[in-house]
Amino acid sequence: MTRVLATYNIKGGVGKTSAAVNLAYLAATGGAQTLLWDLDPQGASTYVFRIKPRVKGGGRKLVRGKSDVDALIKGTDYDRLELLPADFSYRHMDLALADSKKPTRRLARVLEPLRESYDYIFLDCAPSISLVSESVFEAADALLVPLVPATLSSRTFDQLRQVVADGDGGPQVLAFLSMVDRRKRLHRELAESLQADYPEVLSAGIPNASDVERMGPQRTVVEQFAPRGRAAQAYRDLWAEIRERLEPAVDAR
Amino acid sequence: MTAVAATLLSCRLARLGAVPTVELEYLAPAEFDLSAVRDYLPAPLHVDGERFEGGERAFYDTFDRRLRAKQLRLIHEDGFLRLFGAGSRELGAVASPSAPATIRPDELEAGALRTSVAAACEVRTLLRTARVRSDRRLVPVLDDEGKTVARLVAEDAVVVGGNDAENSLRPRLRLVAVRGYERAAERVRKVLEDELRLAPAAEPLEDEAITRSGGSPRGVSPNVELELSADMPAERAAAALSLRLLDVIESNLPGTIADIDIEFLHDLRVAVRRTRALQRELKKVFPPDELAHFRAEFKWVQQASGTTRDLDVYLLELDQFTEEVPEPQRSHLKLLRTLLREQRGSERAQMEQALRSERAGKLFVDWREFLERLPSEPADERPSAATPIGEMAAWRIERVYRRMVRMGADIDDDSPAEALHDLRKKGKELRYLLEFFSPLFPSKVTKPMGKTLKSLQDALGRFQDREVQSHMIRGLGSEIATRPGGADALMAIGVLLERLEEHQHDARAEFSERFAAFSAAEQRELVKKTFG
Repeated sequence: MTRVLATYNIKGGVGKTSAAVNLAYLAATGGAQTLLWDLDPQGASTYVFRIKPRVKGGGRKLVRGKSDVDALIKGTDYDRLELLPADFSYRHMDLALADSKKPTRRLARVLEPLRESYDYIFLDCAPSISLVSESVFEAADALLVPLVPATLSSRTFDQLRQVVADGDGGPQVLAFLSMVDRRKRLHRELAESLQADYPEVLSAGIPNASDVERMGPQRTVVEQFAPRGRAAQAYRDLWAEIRERLEPAVDAR
Repeated sequence: MTAVAATLLSCRLARLGAVPTVELEYLAPAEFDLSAVRDYLPAPLHVDGERFEGGERAFYDTFDRRLRAKQLRLIHEDGFLRLFGAGSRELGAVASPSAPATIRPDELEAGALRTSVAAACEVRTLLRTARVRSDRRLVPVLDDEGKTVARLVAEDAVVVGGNDAENSLRPRLRLVAVRGYERAAERVRKVLEDELRLAPAAEPLEDEAITRSGGSPRGVSPNVELELSADMPAERAAAALSLRLLDVIESNLPGTIADIDIEFLHDLRVAVRRTRALQRELKKVFPPDELAHFRAEFKWVQQASGTTRDLDVYLLELDQFTEEVPEPQRSHLKLLRTLLREQRGSERAQMEQALRSERAGKLFVDWREFLERLPSEPADERPSAATPIGEMAAWRIERVYRRMVRMGADIDDDSPAEALHDLRKKGKELRYLLEFFSPLFPSKVTKPMGKTLKSLQDALGRFQDREVQSHMIRGLGSEIATRPGGADALMAIGVLLERLEEHQHDARAEFSERFAAFSAAEQRELVKKTFG
């Protein structure tokens, strides 16, 4: 049973790509056939895997179901982990969706034929609240939402919960703290209150560690260059908790 | 390599929409140095990050290679069981710390791997067909982004469980394409084949390992698959067919005794039944006294294993039956399953004793020795020994068909179950005759004949299975009553019996229609013309 997991936040720079890339890697090394779709036109996940951010026919053709998705998928350097790359044209994905019938169903449609080949499909989403995100909510079984310990985080998270709750049978929401600096009192306090206020917030969180930043220059996942570090351990804990908390799959979403 | 082979490989690498990952295997000559590849790779392709690894790998398939038939390969390596499909694309993986000697598909962790494996294997258990220990040199081929676009793996392997010196396999080099980078893999292929003159391996490492482990890559088929010619003397044909059947019996014997899966016993019994059909149908090619002895002995083998097979079928079908019983009573059938399992246990023990006995061992040795000397025996008491097999087979097919038509015509709504059972037994005889000898006759006659026969046999088989199953449960009634929860179980069994009777009734209703097709005037005429 395929699970579609989207790393999502309205805000940018909160650790979505790092989470998508490292969690997808952990899923694959655990034995699961895994696909990561880099939906962000900036193509950070695509860059990490050293793959060229180019999709033949662009985003418009893809979301309209006119591309052979199978032919666009690239193998990463790791067993069982494959990538549907980013393309700069994804920046107009909203427009492409708006032009099509049932726009919020489009991404789910694109994923449909891929479901039989993968145990997990990760969607690395661009920060926004748009037609693309609505389409992501329809396609995803769960949203993985990184929260940075900042005063406005709870407000943003409230908005997100509201949007998801408005939808019909929307995805499960699993949030986790990201870029946490345990040495800062404010971080500790905000983290504690977020976890206390929202049952969706997981106990595992990702530290603000240099290993996470090093993914850019290293162009690989933390597990590859710093497996013993705090960040690698944090992603492992996070993945274990996500798997535990994922609701049982429903046959037809 | 030949031009044709090169074109084929190019096609394989180019036509990758549907089958994205491709693996090519080469035999590496003794003096081959993988580093030479770097001198020929066209820019920006280059090699970097070479590493060495080693470890064990185990290969799995069923006795009759059901995975292979579906282009699947199941391999245990690096702590995972991995399933590969066409083009060596990985379809699924499950963590598995060790590589056991056998794996039951239904005991695998739920997921894509189990779904594909279970669908291919059906009732069969997976056997470890070979194990190798290897040293591998991994050389990634990278592009200008430093992305791995193909992998080269040089491998020196030995078969585990033997003398290393004797069991080392030929050194191999594998080129593994990365999905989405097939063009790069094609360029590497050209370097390997055109510049370094490597020849693709005709036999994959897995097959070589299986052969060295004493197995057969193609597995053991329960089918006879023997080419006969119409003018072959009947005694030679009878001996050749019987010897092949004896091979099937003997190859399925260890798996039957070890209870690896229920198909071993099934295939063994089919081969025994075919043997007996040959003994009956071609009896005049055998000396009567010796034949009488062997017929009695094979009948004994068949009888000693019959109840176990019936119970295997019953347990297999019980899930399906259970679904036909209303929900509140379903759980009460658990007791029936328990009792059937217990009964199977004791029946199996007796069967095992019979199959392991000196009597059985002697039967197979004597039968082989007898068949081998048969063509050189005096023909005084064997009037059909030299008759061409084509003539003999035609005569038998025509006779058995005619007999079936007569038997079936006599069956009406009041006929006892035995009448249908007897017809089914005759039908099996005809089916085996067609299986052995149909290549000697026009397929436009044998094919439709086989088809109407199969359809008839299916209905008769269902009728008979339900008869046996009803009889079996009735026999268990008094035992069930004494067990805790027995009263509830008996109620549920009452419902089940009704269902079985309905099935049996349906099968009987289908019989008339199917028999009419089998015995239609047109078909009778055709049989007479071809075989008469």
